[in-house]
Amino acid sequence: MPEVTIDWYIALSVILFTIGSLGVLLRRNAIIVFMSVEMMLNSANLAFVAFARYLGDLDGQVLVFFVITVAAAEVAVGLALIVAIFRTKKSINIDDMNLLKG
Amino acid sequence: MNAFGLAPLLLLFPAIGVLFNGLVGRRFVEADAKVGERWSGWIASLMAISSFVVAVLLFISLWTNGFQAMIAPIMDWISIPSANFSVPWAIRVDTLSVTMMLVVTGVGSLIHIYAIGYMHGDPNFSRFFAYFNLFIFFMLILVSGSTYLVLFVGWEGVGLCSFLLISFWFDRTNAAGKAMNADAGRKAFIVNRVGDLGMILAMFLMFWTFRSLEFGAVFSTAVEMFESHHIVEFGLFSAPIGTVITAITALFLLGATGKSAQFPLYVWLPDAMAGPTPVSALIHAATMVTSGIYLIVRSNVLFEIARASGPVIFGVISTPDLVAYVGAFTGLLAGLIAFTQFDIKKVLAYSTVSQLGFMIAAAGMGAYVAAMFHLVTHAFFKALLFLGSGSVIHGMEHGHHHLHELSHAEHGHADHHEDVFDPQDMRTMGGLRHKMPTTFWVYLVGALALAGIPPLAGFWSKDEILAHGNQHAIAVYVVLAIAAVCTAFYMGRQLHMTFFGEPRHAAAEHAQESPALMTTPLVVLAALAVVGGLLNLPYLTESMAEANHHHPGGLFLALEGWLEHSIRSFELTEEGVFALPHTPIVLSPLVAGISTLLALVALGGAFYVYRNKPETAVDPDPLQKIKPLWWFRILPLETFYMKFIVPPFKWLADWLAFAVDWNFWHDFVHNNLIRDMFVSFATFLADVFDKFGVDGTVNGIGSVTKSLAGVLRRTQTGFARTYALGVFLGAVALLAYFLWVLY
Amino acid sequence: MGNPIIFLLLAVVAIGSAIGMLTSHNAVHSALYLVLNFATIGIFYIILNAPFIAMVQITVYAGAIMVLFLFVIMLLGAEQLRGVTDVHGGERFHRAVAGLLAAVLLLASGLLLFQSEASAVTAPMLDTSPTALGLHLFSGYVFPFEVTAVLLLASMIGVVIFGKTKKRGKDA
Repeated sequence: MPEVTIDWYIALSVILFTIGSLGVLLRRNAIIVFMSVEMMLNSANLAFVAFARYLGDLDGQVLVFFVITVAAAEVAVGLALIVAIFRTKKSINIDDMNLLKG
Repeated sequence: MNAFGLAPLLLLFPAIGVLFNGLVGRRFVEADAKVGERWSGWIASLMAISSFVVAVLLFISLWTNGFQAMIAPIMDWISIPSANFSVPWAIRVDTLSVTMMLVVTGVGSLIHIYAIGYMHGDPNFSRFFAYFNLFIFFMLILVSGSTYLVLFVGWEGVGLCSFLLISFWFDRTNAAGKAMNADAGRKAFIVNRVGDLGMILAMFLMFWTFRSLEFGAVFSTAVEMFESHHIVEFGLFSAPIGTVITAITALFLLGATGKSAQFPLYVWLPDAMAGPTPVSALIHAATMVTSGIYLIVRSNVLFEIARASGPVIFGVISTPDLVAYVGAFTGLLAGLIAFTQFDIKKVLAYSTVSQLGFMIAAAGMGAYVAAMFHLVTHAFFKALLFLGSGSVIHGMEHGHHHLHELSHAEHGHADHHEDVFDPQDMRTMGGLRHKMPTTFWVYLVGALALAGIPPLAGFWSKDEILAHGNQHAIAVYVVLAIAAVCTAFYMGRQLHMTFFGEPRHAAAEHAQESPALMTTPLVVLAALAVVGGLLNLPYLTESMAEANHHHPGGLFLALEGWLEHSIRSFELTEEGVFALPHTPIVLSPLVAGISTLLALVALGGAFYVYRNKPETAVDPDPLQKIKPLWWFRILPLETFYMKFIVPPFKWLADWLAFAVDWNFWHDFVHNNLIRDMFVSFATFLADVFDKFGVDGTVNGIGSVTKSLAGVLRRTQTGFARTYALGVFLGAVALLAYFLWVLY
Repeated sequence: MGNPIIFLLLAVVAIGSAIGMLTSHNAVHSALYLVLNFATIGIFYIILNAPFIAMVQITVYAGAIMVLFLFVIMLLGAEQLRGVTDVHGGERFHRAVAGLLAAVLLLASGLLLFQSEASAVTAPMLDTSPTALGLHLFSGYVFPFEVTAVLLLASMIGVVIFGKTKKRGKDA
C-alpha cells in the first residue's frame, strides 16, 4: 500500500486551487466568483496544514489561523459591496460591472 | 660725465607733454583762458626745454667720452630669430644724432615759447601744443633711431604731425568755399607718401642684401661686400653690389625729395603755409624738411659706395651726382618762383625749398659736413624769418581789427563794406619798420643771413657749399651761385615791400608791435644767426691750415671735427676704400668774394627796382614787365599734377569703389551669391526640413501613439473576468518559467 | 499522514463538491456544495493532527462565512439569477484560454510531484492542543495578531458604512 506522502496533499491542494480559479474566471455570478475565491484560499490552507504536519512545525497552523480570519473579514466586506452594487445596478452579473471599460 | 642712460628721457618728456595737453589741457584752457593757456603752453615748452637739456647732457657726455657712439636700448621691438631679423628700439647717441637733437629741441623750444603768444585766443590752444609736442617726439625718434626702421617710424610720425598741424584750422574755408587747410594737409601727407614708398623699397632692398637694418651693421656689411665685389642674388636675376647700393640710394633720394620738398615733390610745401606760422617755422623750415638731408648724411657710406661704383643709373649717372643735380635744380627753380609770390609766407616757403636744394646738392657732392652746417644755420635764420613774418602778420591783423573798430566808431554799422583783407599779402604792407621796430631789426638780420652777407651765419655755410662745388662739381657750383643771387634778390624784394616805403593799406598804418613773448625768441634766434658761423669757420689762410696739419683745430672747423666721428666716409677714405671728395678747409677769397659781391648787388638791385613801387596795393608788380620771369608764377607744378596725375588716380579710385567694390563685390557677390544662397538654404530648412522632416517626425510619433493607444484600449474591456484571466495567465507563466529554470 | 484509502475517499468527495460548486446553476446549491467541501477539508485537518484548526474551519468557514453567503443569496434573490446566456465570441476564447491555463497548471504540478521523491512523514507528532497553539501564537506572532485585530475592526466599520442606505425606505 503506498504511503500518503506530502505530495498527495499538494496535489489535492493544486486541484482544488485550479477548480477555484476556473470558477473565478468562468462564472458570471458575482457570488459564485466569491465562493470560488474562498475555495482557493481554502486549498492554500490545506497545503499549509499538510506542511505543518510534514515538517513538524506549528507555524503552518498559526498561519492558517490568520488566513481564516482575514478571509472572513474579506467576505464580509465583499458581500457588503455586492449588496451595495446590487442596489444601484440591480444585477450581480460581473459582466455588467464594466464601468472601467476604456 | 656719462649721461647716456638719460637718453630715453629725451623721448619721455615730449610724450608727457602730449599726454598732458591731449588729455587734460583742454579743460584748463576752457576753464580760464588766460591761466589755462599759460599752463598748457608752458608745460609743452618746458617739455621741449627738458629734452633740450637732455640733449645738452648727451652732448657733454659724448665730448668727455671721446666722441664714441653709444647705443642706449629701450626695448626689443621686432625679433624673429629664424630669419635673423632683429630690430630693437634703441637710441643711437653719436655726434650726428646729437647735432640734430640739439637743433630740434633747441629751436623747437624757442618756437614753443613763441607759439604761446602767437596762438593766444585760439579755442584749440591745447590741441595745438599736444600736436607740437607729438612732433618733437617723432622727430627725436627719427634722429635718434639706431636702425633704419626706427628712423622710418619717426619719418612717418613727422609726416602725420605735419598733416595734423597744417590742417590745424581744418574747418576754415576760403572765399570759394573750399576747405583749403584740410586740402593742404592732405596734399602734404599724400605727396610725402610717394617719397615714403621709396623709403620702404629701399629698406626691403637693404634687408635683402645686408640682412640687417641697423646702421653700423649695414655700413660694415656694405663695405665688405663692396671690397669683395659681392654679387647679390635676387632669385630670378643677380646684380653686383654697386648696382644694388645705387638702387638703394636712389630710392633714398626719392624719400628725401618727398620729405625735403625737392623737385618734383615740392608742391606741398607752399600750400603748407596754410598752417599756423609756428608750424611753418618748426616743421617746414628747421626740422621735418631736414630729415631728408639727415637721411642722406647718415647713409654717407652707401652714397660714397654708389659714387665709387660709377654711373649706374641708366648707364649715365651715379646716384650722388643725381642727388646733387636734383638739389641744384630745385634750388634755382624755387628761387625763381619766389620772385613772383605776394604772400609773405609763400616767399619764405619757396626760399626753404631753395635752401633745401642747397643742402641736398651739398650732400650729393659729398660735402656732408657742409650740408649739416647749412642745415643748422638755416634752422636759425629760417625759423627767425618765419617767426618774424608771423609777428608781421600778427601786427597786420591787429591793425585791421583796429581799423574795423575805428570805422565802426565813425560810421556805425551801416557803412560796412567787406573788403577781403589778407594780412599775409605783401602788397598791403609797407613802412612797417616804423611801426614794428623789433620785428624789423631781427627780420633784417635773418634776411641778410639768408642772403649770405658776411659775417652772418648764412654766409659761412653757403660759402662752404659753393667752395666745395667750385672744386668738385663746377656745374652745380654755377647753378647754385645763380640761385644764391636769386635768394638775395627776392629777400631784398620782400624786405622792401614789407618794411620800407609807405604803407599801402590802412591796416599797415595801424599795425602794432607784437608782445614780448613773441619777440624774445626772435631776438635769441637773431643772435644765433649772427654767431652761428662760428660753428664751422674755415681756416682763413693756407698757413693757418698748415699749422694745424689740415685738421680741425681750435676755433676752426669745429663742426667738422665733431661730425667726423659719425661720418665713416672720412675713415674709409683714409683706408682707401673709396674717395670722398674733400671740402676745402681754407677760405677761398675768390668764391667768397664773388658770392658776397653778387649778393650785395642783388640786394641793391631789388631795392632799386622796388624803390617806389608798387605804390598802392593794386598796382602791378614791377617785375611783371619782365614776362619770362613772371612765367615762374605759374610754374609750380600744381596745374600739371591736377590735370595729368590726379584725374587718372581719381578715375581708378572711382572705378574700384563703384564698379568693383559696390557693384561686383557688394551687389553681386554679397547680395546675389551669399545672401541668396543663405536665403535658399534657410527656406529649404524651414519648408522642407522643418515642415516635413521635423514636424512629420513629431506628428508621426503622435499619430503612432494614438493608433497604439487605440489598439491597446481594447484590453480595457471593463470586464473583471478578463483582468482576472490576465492575472492568472501571468501567474502560470511565472510558474512555468520557474519550473523551466529548475528543471 | 493517514490511510491512503481514507485519503482517496475524502479527496474524491472534496473534488467532487468543488466541481459541483463550479457547475451548479443554482447559487444555493453552489453554496451548499462549498459547505461540503469545507467540511471535508476539516476532516483532512483532523487527519493531519490539527484539531483546533479543524474546529475553527468548521465554525468560521462553514458556519459563519457560508451562512453569510446564504443570507446574501437569499437577500438578492440570486438563486434565480442565471446571468446572460449569450456566449459571444469573446466568451468562447475566454473559456478556451482559462481551460488551457488550468490544464497547464495541473500538468506542471503533476510533473513536479511525480518527480519528487518525498518520503513519508518523519517528523514527530506535535502537541497541537489549543494551549500549545496559543502559546506558539502569542510568543512569535503577536504583531500579526494585533494587526489582524485591527483589520477585523476596519472591515466591520467598512461593512457598516457600506450597509448604510441614503434614503430610508426608498431602495429595497
